[in-house]
Amino acid sequence: MTTAAADRGQARARKSRLGRRTYSWATLAPVLVIVGVFTLVPFVYAAWTSVHRHVLVLQGRPFVGLRNYQNAIEDPLFGDSIKTSLIFVGVSVPLVTLAGLLVALLLNQRVRGFGILLVLVLLPWAVPTVSAGIMWRLLLHGDFGAVDGFLFRIGAIDSYIQWLSNPTLAMASVIGVHAWREFPLAAILFLAGLQTIPPDLAEAARLDRASAWQRFRYVTLPLLKAPLLIVLVYETIVALSVFDLVYVLTGGGPGSATTLFSWFTYTATFKYLNFGEGAALSFIMAAVLLVCIVVYMRVVRLREDVT
Amino acid sequence: MMRWKTLTRRGSIGLLVVLLTVAAAAAAALGAGGGGAKTSLKFDVWSYSIPTIQDNIKKFQQGHPEVTVSLRDTSWFDYHDVLATRFTGDNAPDVAYSSDHWLREWVAAGWIVPLDEHFPQFKSYQKEWAPYALEGMTLDGKLYGLPYYADLVTFIYNDRLVKKAGFKAAPQKWGDVMRQALALKKKGLVKYPINIPLKKDDPWLIEIFYSMVYGRGGHMFDGDDNPVFNKPNSPAEQTLQWLHNAMTRWKIFNPASPESAEPDVVKTMGAGNSAFTVLAKYNLAELNLGQHKERGKFRMALMPGGAHSTVGFVRFYAMSKNAADRGDDVVKDSGEFLQYFGGKTNGKYTVVKRWALEKGLGFANLPLYNDKQVAASINKWGSVNLEQKQAKLAHVKEGLTPYWGVWDIYARQQLDAAILGQISPRKALQSMADRWERLKKQYG
Repeated sequence: MTTAAADRGQARARKSRLGRRTYSWATLAPVLVIVGVFTLVPFVYAAWTSVHRHVLVLQGRPFVGLRNYQNAIEDPLFGDSIKTSLIFVGVSVPLVTLAGLLVALLLNQRVRGFGILLVLVLLPWAVPTVSAGIMWRLLLHGDFGAVDGFLFRIGAIDSYIQWLSNPTLAMASVIGVHAWREFPLAAILFLAGLQTIPPDLAEAARLDRASAWQRFRYVTLPLLKAPLLIVLVYETIVALSVFDLVYVLTGGGPGSATTLFSWFTYTATFKYLNFGEGAALSFIMAAVLLVCIVVYMRVVRLREDVT
Repeated sequence: MMRWKTLTRRGSIGLLVVLLTVAAAAAAALGAGGGGAKTSLKFDVWSYSIPTIQDNIKKFQQGHPEVTVSLRDTSWFDYHDVLATRFTGDNAPDVAYSSDHWLREWVAAGWIVPLDEHFPQFKSYQKEWAPYALEGMTLDGKLYGLPYYADLVTFIYNDRLVKKAGFKAAPQKWGDVMRQALALKKKGLVKYPINIPLKKDDPWLIEIFYSMVYGRGGHMFDGDDNPVFNKPNSPAEQTLQWLHNAMTRWKIFNPASPESAEPDVVKTMGAGNSAFTVLAKYNLAELNLGQHKERGKFRMALMPGGAHSTVGFVRFYAMSKNAADRGDDVVKDSGEFLQYFGGKTNGKYTVVKRWALEKGLGFANLPLYNDKQVAASINKWGSVNLEQKQAKLAHVKEGLTPYWGVWDIYARQQLDAAILGQISPRKALQSMADRWERLKKQYG
């Protein structure tokens, strides 16, 4: 090929690459704009809001530095809501994990009617959280709830239990409903993990006269380590950020019995109309969740490395 | 093949440009307002008797064909928060329900405008209003609303049950309430004789608490809007302690009340499962005329306590700054709307009277007490004489400042916590006072 022809060829190739690059950016641009508008812009605006006084009723938005963060942390409800959230996470995550594991072990037996059982197990997960919250609020009502009605009818109780009016029981109810909604996902993850365990290992253990508990403890459980970690971390993230269930079921009450940190953030913003403090609280919560997400990502990568 | 690839790339770019153009044109078309000579008014209300409101709107529009009113209703629990975000989010109504306890907040925020500056003729109504209603709609000498309804927080009891327990008269003090409630419980007539809505989302809770404090002759704030409710052994502390004891020691308070709002309490009372409550007076009409097992058995009594005082409140129609900014036509039509709903039509308070006759809502317009039809209607379920006696002892809520609305939300949570025993009444009241001071500093 002559030099001129080679040069023309190179020029055409450059033009072609430029054309492809332009085309790529042109087709990506609308998506990037949309993603930017709905993620970056709100994030930056929230950060700006968190360092300015932004109270809906007051005029002006003066810069206040970290005062919003300071006020939010000094609020008596800040400490209370963190304590409540820790209790919620500390009880609900093990409950979801245990319930999911037990159901997965049952489903792994491949009993008759496995398909129907699977559908029934997945049903709570399919119900939208708000619908679930409304349903359970009516079921657990202290005056006319069906749960109390049934227990009263069978003689298990002699007066209606205040599931949502008693502070301790209200918290237990929120944890219970949350676990009811979340355990199907845990069950599915565990079931997937159980089905990757070679049956020969359990068979070998049985031949060695290991009991059911010993087979579970020394064969099954070690091989479920990865899904177990995923469930624990994921459910911790979910428990820390739960809001809609509390909104519908108890509204953070009675008193402050079920005021989780997410509910406190919502209240600061939309009830006390202090968007500055609300934004500050959102960033505090985001920082905590970020740590959990980083741990989660590492666990997922660990699982991929292992498999 | 090369040509096909080029065509596909160019074609896809071209298609993208066409799609974006169409999308932009559609957005512009959606955003463009419809033309036409009619004025459109946005009217925001809380959800109470929506069919009645819609019928009133229909009648107004028949008389004013140049105006179209679009109604938006929101739950009473969320009304304050939703309206705040609407006012600040460029989705403000033109006319809206408001209340005496939000007046200062909405004026400070610049959300509503004085009516007498746009409609001087409205000033003539003021001399006909109950004093607590006038006070609730006026700020710095300017009038900000025409009354939707004005009423009292009253003590309501089941007369049949009280007589069956052996008592001849309604309780006069809170000690009497306790004794009568214990007697009803002991005789097996009612398991939990007292029921008051304690659901913290229900804005009634704070007005009920105020009323119980006023009944004892107490105050919540002094003349300079400083808290006095947190003083040791104040009437407020006595009230909160009484409620706590009723719930946890004497067990005469319905334990489901923390999840009960006003309608739930009405149902429980109506079913005969409670005998004493503190509610807005219009609920007496519902209890005595509605579909309840104990229909007709309820009476009103003066608020228990040495002073028998209570809260008188007013809910009113306000015009927004949004309406004022939209031009003279909108202002004129908003004025006619306000006149129809809160003022006189052909010399009569048509809509206000309708609420009184059909729903038993109280009214700010004192001449209506002289209306034979209204008086007869009230006496079917209540007592005009007792109502007027209680009204003379009624006061507006103290401490109404621009931050009262947000303080109220915190206060209700603390009241609930104290009644349930999560914190002591004294700590709860002190916490409420601390929050007040914090808000005062924040709002300058």
